[in-house]
Amino acid sequence: MSGICRPRLAEERKQWRKDHPFGFFAKPAKNPDGSMNLMEWEVGIPGKTGTAWDGGLYKLSMIFPEDYPSKPPKCKFTPPLFHPNVYPSGTVCLSILDEEKSWKPAITIKQILLGIQDLLDDPNVLDPAQSDAYTMFKNDKVAYEKKIKQQARDNVPK
Amino acid sequence: MDDDDMEMDDYNDDFKLNTGPKRKSYEVDYSSLSQTSVEKSMREDVDHICGILGVESPVAALLLRHQAWNKERLIEKYMETPTTVLVESGATVPEPVAAPTPVRSHSVDKSTASPSSSRRATRSSSKLLSSLTSPTRLSFQKSNSISPSGTASPSKSRKDTKSEEPESFVCPICFDDSPDLKQLALDCGHVACSGCWNAYTTSKIRDEAEHSIRCMTEGCALVASDDFVRNILSDAAPAGTDVHENAVAWSRFQELLVRNFVAANQKLKFCPYPGCTNTVSCPSAAGKSVITSIVPTVSCGARGIPGSSSDKAGSSSSGVLQAREHVFCFGCTIESDHRPVVCAVAKLWLQKCEDDSETANWIKSNTKECSQCQSTIEKNGGCNHMTCKKCKYEFCWVCMGPWSEHGTAWYSCNRYDEKGSIDARDAQSRSRASLERYLHYYNRWANHEQSAKLSVELYAKTEKKMEDMQITSELTWIEVQFMKKAVEEVEKCRMTLKWTYAMAYYLARGNEKDLFEDNQRDLEKAVEDLSELLESPIETENIPTLRQKVTDKTVYVQKRNEIVLEDTATGFQDGRWRWNITVDGFEDPLEDSKVD
Repeated sequence: MSGICRPRLAEERKQWRKDHPFGFFAKPAKNPDGSMNLMEWEVGIPGKTGTAWDGGLYKLSMIFPEDYPSKPPKCKFTPPLFHPNVYPSGTVCLSILDEEKSWKPAITIKQILLGIQDLLDDPNVLDPAQSDAYTMFKNDKVAYEKKIKQQARDNVPK
Repeated sequence: MDDDDMEMDDYNDDFKLNTGPKRKSYEVDYSSLSQTSVEKSMREDVDHICGILGVESPVAALLLRHQAWNKERLIEKYMETPTTVLVESGATVPEPVAAPTPVRSHSVDKSTASPSSSRRATRSSSKLLSSLTSPTRLSFQKSNSISPSGTASPSKSRKDTKSEEPESFVCPICFDDSPDLKQLALDCGHVACSGCWNAYTTSKIRDEAEHSIRCMTEGCALVASDDFVRNILSDAAPAGTDVHENAVAWSRFQELLVRNFVAANQKLKFCPYPGCTNTVSCPSAAGKSVITSIVPTVSCGARGIPGSSSDKAGSSSSGVLQAREHVFCFGCTIESDHRPVVCAVAKLWLQKCEDDSETANWIKSNTKECSQCQSTIEKNGGCNHMTCKKCKYEFCWVCMGPWSEHGTAWYSCNRYDEKGSIDARDAQSRSRASLERYLHYYNRWANHEQSAKLSVELYAKTEKKMEDMQITSELTWIEVQFMKKAVEEVEKCRMTLKWTYAMAYYLARGNEKDLFEDNQRDLEKAVEDLSELLESPIETENIPTLRQKVTDKTVYVQKRNEIVLEDTATGFQDGRWRWNITVDGFEDPLEDSKVD
């Protein structure tokens, strides 16, 4: 797959620069020598307006395996996010990011990021990944909402 | 010697009854199937479904895999809602609009005589559907853009790609737009280049062991047919890919299909040995209820591990011994012969050993129990005045009696025989007894396993010597083979003995157990005698006598082993054995036969 991986990522980059949803950013990381590392992207996902996540820009890194797009990229919030479907490490638990579930090679970076944005305000309680956020979401919606709003304020872009 | 001969004669008569062609009661009927023959029965099932449902064989294969090879269920469901079943199995794309009935009824008139029967109509409509879909399954849009059924094709997007064809094609997966790209799509028409298909398919097969290769487009659930996969991994594979890797992936794919078929069939089990692709068919051991009365030990017939060094060394006879036959239990996951004990009990025992054996040994040698609350206590320093952490009972470590009787004798205890201390030690010994009991069985179990290994090692050494002897003395090759036979027998019997200890541990006390242990003892004695013989020094002059002795003993041991196996097997069939614990599939033990 290594033959496909880089051209695909280069094209994804091209497409993204041509057009991307408002408020998002996505760019390949820099190597120590200043060159571009296509295999790792730094991205930002804004919270949807009208939700508790509004105002925040949540940063995550996308790490692409050598056999991308046969295999999905690993998406990891840096720093880890308070959210029922985000592992304590920051890794996002989402069916379209699981090669044994709904991942398909045709899914684009744009689709992934929009999918994660949807997930922010619409957690999947059947698939919890961290206990703190999950228990609070289940037992105390008010406190959860408050905590999310605080997190949004902490993540306002400078 | 005389005694042995006498006994042998006694048993000879008994055994003549059993030596006919009929299998012994501790054996099961089974047959070993190669991957090819399993593939053949898969094809038979597929052909059967083709005939009944009137679908093409790739479609029938997908349908069967989706319904876990349950033909009755598939036929029933298909008769009810053919489209749903086809879509669910990934054989066709969901049709957004109602089926174009006029086209179908036309073909019904052609193919069947009775259009009034709704059943028939379903049948032939599916026939048509498959004839529509199958030619397009492998569509190379460049060379073959118009499929035979192009006008009636259920897929909209196919037409789209066709109309776009004059423009240059860009693969939606890798964004390559080279003019010489080979384009491929399933019936859904989601085109991608052959390179992407190849990489995706290989990674699904190799990394995920997935035989159901779905379309690469998001939300599309269409599954690639076997022909499509083969094409992707051979003819349609792009020039840059490794031919060998493609071949490996294809053969792995076929193996996955066989595994899927075998897993769905209770009468079949895949050989658990690494690298082995054989399957064993054992209809008599299918189902949970049978394995409480038989121990279905089977073998796929192969030996050794493919590609490992022991396999290559198979030419020498010691290599044959080491290249173990693929013996396993059809009823459970134990990868060896656990006769005579049934699966459920064998599993209990292995679990217990895994949890307990080493811990129990350590507890036994390093701890004592508080005579009041039975907590296990390790003394790691200090005087003999112990205070139980849990129940605060104060006692003397040496005599286990209460400390109140001790006064100030902190470091020496001269009150060993006081009544209080004797009582305390009695209480302790009772609770230790169950541990002792377990260790009694465990140590014998472990010992037989160890000895079996040692005897094989010993044989490797002896064999060399025998070969030398064959050269230096008058003996022929045949005449020096008796050792090999004996070692094999010893190893086999030690395996039986090993498991008899697991069985004895769980057997409820009573006459049955006594008889069982008598048989066990006789076999054990015979095996130990033979083992001893095998270790006796070999000199050229005593070979004839040694051979005589070893051969006699081997025959005797063999018969004792058969007695044990035969007796336990009939015991299971007659429901004679009672356990001291609750075992899956057996009646609960009586209260008084329970052992802690």
